[in-house]
Amino acid sequence: MTLPVTIIMIEDDEGHARLIERNIRRSGVNNEIVSFANGTEAMRHLFGADGSGLVQKGNALLILLDLNLPDMSGIDILRQIKENKYLKASPVVVLTTTDDSQEIKRCYELGCNVYITKPVNYENFANAIRQLGLFFSVIQVPPAT
Amino acid sequence: MLTVISAGSVYLVNEARRDSKWVIHTIEVENQINTLLLEVRRAESSARGFLLTLGPDFQSDHEKAVAAIIPALDKLTRQIGDNPAQREGIEKLSAAIETRLGQFSREMNYVKQGQPDMAAALIREAAAGDSTTTINNLANAMIREEERLFRIRTSNSDRSQTLAASMTGIGSGLVVLLALISIWLVRRSAGARDDAEIRLRDANLNLEATIDERTADLREANDEIQRFAYIVSHDLRSPLVNIMGFTSELEELGKDIFRRIGELAGVPAGGPPVDVADIPLDGPDKQLSADFSEALGFIKSSIARMDRLISAILSLTREGRREFQPEKINTRDFVGTIISSVAHQAAEAQAEIHIEPLPNIVSDRLALEQIFSNLIDNAIKYLRSGVPGEIRIRGRTKLGYAIFEISDNGRGIDPKDHQRIFDLFRRAGTQDKPGQGIGLAHVRALVRRLGGTMSVSSELNAGSTFTITLPINWNASNRNADK
Repeated sequence: MTLPVTIIMIEDDEGHARLIERNIRRSGVNNEIVSFANGTEAMRHLFGADGSGLVQKGNALLILLDLNLPDMSGIDILRQIKENKYLKASPVVVLTTTDDSQEIKRCYELGCNVYITKPVNYENFANAIRQLGLFFSVIQVPPAT
Repeated sequence: MLTVISAGSVYLVNEARRDSKWVIHTIEVENQINTLLLEVRRAESSARGFLLTLGPDFQSDHEKAVAAIIPALDKLTRQIGDNPAQREGIEKLSAAIETRLGQFSREMNYVKQGQPDMAAALIREAAAGDSTTTINNLANAMIREEERLFRIRTSNSDRSQTLAASMTGIGSGLVVLLALISIWLVRRSAGARDDAEIRLRDANLNLEATIDERTADLREANDEIQRFAYIVSHDLRSPLVNIMGFTSELEELGKDIFRRIGELAGVPAGGPPVDVADIPLDGPDKQLSADFSEALGFIKSSIARMDRLISAILSLTREGRREFQPEKINTRDFVGTIISSVAHQAAEAQAEIHIEPLPNIVSDRLALEQIFSNLIDNAIKYLRSGVPGEIRIRGRTKLGYAIFEISDNGRGIDPKDHQRIFDLFRRAGTQDKPGQGIGLAHVRALVRRLGGTMSVSSELNAGSTFTITLPINWNASNRNADK
């Protein structure tokens, strides 16, 4: 890993964000985590003021995305990320409460890399996040071109 | 009414005809009297002529006239036979005429015997005897009588004719009036009928529109409920993740805190603790730790229960939104597969499952699988402990429906709970088995969506029989159309 990977977390529920962060840290991942509580801010950060995504050129990103955001649909964010030439190579992990098979199918069709349902059972939740940490450590995150 | 009028007209016309007949009769009688008088005069004048000239022409003329008198008299007698006053007159008249005829024949005899003097004397005598005058007077009296009758009868006839005419006029007027009234009535009722028809058509259209509207409303309401249930159950999960997550975090914190308390109190620690209760503590600290873990235990079990309920609602709404695909199902093989998947539980419960011949049906495979596996699961789950279970699955057909019965010899259900068991989240009997009270609610919803019905018959400790009635040939249009 030549460049440190930045984890972008888009999650409106502060509690969830906190739990996810804690568990990522517990799994031994120490990358920088930038978190956003709504879609608009996250979009501005990802795509820049001009909306071209040029600001992220050359940055290695990993995006954790919740589908139920207050201001916009996570599906829209996913589509725009995967349609942007600078961002489409960044892995996107959809982490949400929705376990509807239609929704999951749609996310994978749009190019999401991993889809994780937030289980209420905390152990399962922690396990899922830790496995995600494992996943982070193995995957080679290509820098945004 | 018309009959009365026609009868009246007919009667009056007949009356008028009779009256005119009488008028004609009177005229005829008058005529006949005149004819008679004429003949008498002719006889008289020809007799005189013969007396004066002795011409055979007069003689034959007289004879002809005399010959005509008697038949004319007879005819007159016949004609006036109805009138007693005239009959009297005719008797006198005929007596007078006979006298005159006698005189005639005597006159003629004298003339023929060449005694014109005698004849002339006779004529004079006759003239003196006034027989001709008598005849004339009598005849005139009769004519006057007949004229009187004529006047009366004419006026009668006129009256009856006028009556008949006015009757006919009134009748015609009434007929026209009735016709007009009928036309008006017919037109009015036709108009009313047209109005009613239009209103009926409007009402029908309105009704259809209303039904469509209501159906659309209901469909919308149903969709709304489905969406609502979905969103609510979904959004409820989100805070639950936090509650559960931070409760677990709290548990970890608790472990740390109590471990530290233990260290501070100088109780020797024996390796890293797995649970709060495992931390070596003494006295009141141990009590605190126990209370702490008890509270957390309740929170966690409640969260788990709530999560199961939410999941159940979610899966129910998801099930409600699924489109059914009818397909031909070999029911016996199908049930056999379900039973083989529960063979392990059945063996554990010492239950035997018997499948009797089952009718094949066309239905949704997944829905049918959930129906049967839920019922069979329940049958195995609620057996009486210590009694070997016996579960039977029977089937028959009736009027286009397949009736399946799943019966067991288990603990049974109190009749007062028969409705309750089909309600969501409700259960009955001893609560010694895990469950959310969802299975039967779900099964009944599925059966209804498949166009069928289900019922239960059961007694406590006497086993239960669940009966499902499903259409043999279910097709999507039956039910999806109004979903």
